Amino acid sequence: MRPLPRFRNLPVTLRVPLVTAGLMILLGFLASQSVLSALGKVQDARLSETAKLHVEGLSVALGPSVLRQDVWEVYDILDRARSTYDGQRLLLSIVADERGRILAATDPRRAPVGEAVAEFEVGAAPPDAVRMTGDPVLRVAAPLLFQGRQIGQIVTELDVTDLLAERRNVSMWLLFGNAAATALLAFGGWLAVARILRPVGALVSAMDDSKGAPRPIAETDIPRGDPGLSRLISTYNRMTTAVESRAEAERRLAERERFVSLGRLSSSLAHEVNNPLGGLLNAADTILSYSDRPEVVRQSAELMQRGLSHLRDVTRAILDENRLDRVGQTLRPEDLEDLKLLFEPEVASRAQKLHWNVRPGSTGMTGLPAAPVRQIVLNLLLNAGAAAGQHGQVGLDVTVGEGKLFVEVTDTGPGLGQADLDRLLASGPLPPGGGVGLRLVHDLVSRLDGEIHHERMKDRTHVRVVLPPKDGGHA
Amino acid sequence: MKSTRRAVLMGVAAMAAPFVSARGWTQSPAPFRFALTPVFLDNDAAVISALRAALAEGMGHDIELVQRRTYQEISGALLDGSVDAAWTCGYPYLQHRAELSLLGVPVWRGRPLYQSYLIVAQDDPATALSDLRGGAHAFSDPDSNSGFLVTASDLARDGQTPDQFFSRVIFTYGHRNVVRSVAGGLTRSGSVDGYVWEALSSAEPNLTARTKVIVRSEWLGFPPMVARADRMDEPSVMACKSALLGLSTTPQGREALKLLSLDAIEPGEDALFDGIAARMAVLSGR
Repeated sequence: MRPLPRFRNLPVTLRVPLVTAGLMILLGFLASQSVLSALGKVQDARLSETAKLHVEGLSVALGPSVLRQDVWEVYDILDRARSTYDGQRLLLSIVADERGRILAATDPRRAPVGEAVAEFEVGAAPPDAVRMTGDPVLRVAAPLLFQGRQIGQIVTELDVTDLLAERRNVSMWLLFGNAAATALLAFGGWLAVARILRPVGALVSAMDDSKGAPRPIAETDIPRGDPGLSRLISTYNRMTTAVESRAEAERRLAERERFVSLGRLSSSLAHEVNNPLGGLLNAADTILSYSDRPEVVRQSAELMQRGLSHLRDVTRAILDENRLDRVGQTLRPEDLEDLKLLFEPEVASRAQKLHWNVRPGSTGMTGLPAAPVRQIVLNLLLNAGAAAGQHGQVGLDVTVGEGKLFVEVTDTGPGLGQADLDRLLASGPLPPGGGVGLRLVHDLVSRLDGEIHHERMKDRTHVRVVLPPKDGGHA
Repeated sequence: MKSTRRAVLMGVAAMAAPFVSARGWTQSPAPFRFALTPVFLDNDAAVISALRAALAEGMGHDIELVQRRTYQEISGALLDGSVDAAWTCGYPYLQHRAELSLLGVPVWRGRPLYQSYLIVAQDDPATALSDLRGGAHAFSDPDSNSGFLVTASDLARDGQTPDQFFSRVIFTYGHRNVVRSVAGGLTRSGSVDGYVWEALSSAEPNLTARTKVIVRSEWLGFPPMVARADRMDEPSVMACKSALLGLSTTPQGREALKLLSLDAIEPGEDALFDGIAARMAVLSGR
């Protein structure tokens, strides 16, 4: 079974012509067989006809002479018949009397007068049943009938060398003809198939060359005449575009996330630093005004110390709060607000409508880690946004019940294909193609011991993620 | 001497033709019936046609050439009057010497004589009749001089008959058939008219090349043209005789003679057939 996998490894542009050639050879073989069989039948019929004509003609002519046992007359008739008939065909004709003694033969030296005819009847067939056997000489034996009575026997040797040669010639011609025709058609088939499969080749090379970044195929290379292929390539192009825009979105999101963190840091700083700053400035003024009053200076210095300590605490707290690397942090409502900030531009770019329904404070109780939940929700949102397309609708519902976090993402896209569902819901090997985000969602949810449900209702795709609470993870 | 006689005869024939016409035998619409035998190249339609045309021209009367298979049939037809004249063999002529008369004797290679050949296959080692004992033999006709009488009388001289000497005897009723029989291997040997064998050797060299002559007889009287003795004075028979004798003087006649490989036809004499008569005597044991 080794050659089969090897054959499978061949490019499709070679495999299809090979299969075509194989079928052509099979067809040629079957056609040749049927031609040879027909030829065999024609030759047999011709042979049988010749034998019958010969025997019947001789019977009519020989009757009286055989009755009279007239050796010369019988010989004369046989000899003249030989030159009249297909002389090449009739090698030897022997006429015997009732007792099986040879009366005369076209070659009396081979079949002398008076000898027994029996030895010439070995392997002889009746004229009706004579068939090509591959032997260049065939024997036919028939009773010699005259006036309804058998008066002797006719044995004839037919030379079928020419028929065998004809058969051989036909076989050779068929062989060479079929070989040439097959080669020609296989070549033509290869050209045609190679032409037909050129877009597939382009697709394959585009995917091979991509090195992880699939590149789209030019519109001019899409075969509009072949709806299947054209759809396939269009899908591929859309997929590559989706992958690109996704990567772009992720890049933009990362950037925005940095800006958002920076903004929050700035406002926190302004707020927390500004408050004690007034008191500190007052204390400084007091010290300047009452520098000669040690109690006041001391009180003001203490105040300033407390204020600065507070500032130090605030700075520390802000740094803790706004650390960019938030691994290990628990989920908070702000995380979801961040996601909204991040996702809204995506929605806007596709003129989509966003239903954002996050119950306030709903996330506070779950103790779930922020990073994976953010990843899950963001991926689901990005997928939903891509699926919904231009002017579509995307929705997010986040609720908490029985300590579990329920996240439901909806979109008005065409729905998830089987391959996407396999990525999202199953743990089997990754099917080929894009949509890595769905598998990431699946893996993250699994890691959090959660569940994913998929539902298609009223032209909407619902993906529901249920995440159980984390013990002791209360924020 | 011969040519002078022939010229005279020709003159007589030429003068007689209008005369016999005037006598009125042509009033009978029945054509003159002239029988042929397999003595010569009986399968050649061109020969028969040329001979018929030449004789008809010479006689000034339509002539029908009748072919018969055997000399016996010819003799019977001649005697019962169903044919008017015939080209037969010296042997049957002598058998019916009392009833038949000569119209003419063909001249072959300058003489009205021919030989009988004993032939065998080309590769046969036999060199004499005695070597052929126990083999199959082909005769032409039991009433043929060259095709039977010569060999039979040779055997009779040794006190044997063909049936005893040969394992099998067949009659082919044609000298050409004797050659075919020997050439094809049907019989080991054959008795054939030397004139026919020679004519065949130029007409069908492939056939005669498969045979060879091992014994040639003495020269004997050439197969003659005969008519019933009691009808020799009939104008038609006389016209036929003069036409036969005058063949070599007309272009058509010469053409027919050429096809027959003959020089002319001369009146002939009974003495020509003395050799045959002698062999007949041997055969009959006299």
